Amino acid sequence: MILASSGIVASQIASFDADALAFFARVTAAGGSLTLSEKTATNQLVLDLKANSLWTPMKAIYPMVGSSAAACAQNLKSSSFTGTFSSGWTFASTGVTPNGTSAYMNTNINPSLQTNFITNHHQSFYSRTQTPSGNGWNMGVGFSTTGSPLFGLSVVRSGNSAIYDSGYYLVARSTSTQTDGRAFWLGHCNASNSRKFVKNGIVIATNTATDTIPASNANISIGALMDTATSSPNFFMSQQCAFASIGDGLTDAQASNFYTNVQAFQTTLSRNV
Amino acid sequence: MIGYILTTKQYDQVQGQFINPYQFINCVADINGDYFFFGNEQDKESFKDTEYMWLFDLPQEEYIPPIQNEKP
Repeated sequence: MILASSGIVASQIASFDADALAFFARVTAAGGSLTLSEKTATNQLVLDLKANSLWTPMKAIYPMVGSSAAACAQNLKSSSFTGTFSSGWTFASTGVTPNGTSAYMNTNINPSLQTNFITNHHQSFYSRTQTPSGNGWNMGVGFSTTGSPLFGLSVVRSGNSAIYDSGYYLVARSTSTQTDGRAFWLGHCNASNSRKFVKNGIVIATNTATDTIPASNANISIGALMDTATSSPNFFMSQQCAFASIGDGLTDAQASNFYTNVQAFQTTLSRNV
Repeated sequence: MIGYILTTKQYDQVQGQFINPYQFINCVADINGDYFFFGNEQDKESFKDTEYMWLFDLPQEEYIPPIQNEKP
């Protein structure tokens, strides 16, 4: 039997994870659609994340599938933190691309409203763009005037610097010289003095300085920094995003498995870098 | 980059307005403080049948971003 509304064969429903099915339903209800390949890949991602104890730490997972704002705005983890896109994005089967001038996504995740965000968080961004460009943040929130605090990822700025900010930038910044932006980038923090910047599952920078600055009171953006100095997005970037997540801090083993799981997801969709 | 230039009144009218539950309008100021809207072909499709389609009929000009202060 075929369910015309979803394009899923009935026998497949039983094999799909309940959380994956709920995500598919949210996409459909929003007016978006997913191919069977996208559904299969997303379902496997859910299974892999759960098998590696990565599901629970997630607050938001944006798989960027469905080639539309309605589909890409949906959070795989739950019905909370559904995103919204500004004008200026391009949606494709390979991911979402901001124009680098005015485009950003509001994740609706406010760090100040998350328990212990300052000492227990992560942000991840799968970039499919090779050339370093721009001087902003691919995702994040913070006070640009003083850099106190900043929470975000820059992958990779002009000048070949990749940055993970997780507090006052003079204290809590993790920086690495990189020439190729194509990768799965992860910044995670497990304590006020334990931060790691990870590229494709490999730690590229560590920061052990103590920082206890309060978390930013504004929503994390993708494609730009939500600048609390001006209460508006700023410092836009143009790298294509094929996955992003925000959640709790991860162990080294989780960080490694996270890359493996996300890369497998991208490979299934033939958009891995 | 070429964008559609808005008057301040037009900016106030459209900034932050949603065209559907998942997409909204964001305009940015250039070096002179003039507001610009950037809409691609996909945006144009999304804007169809909305009250903001006129944005795509505005005059187009080269956008020069404002000079930003030294930042982190």
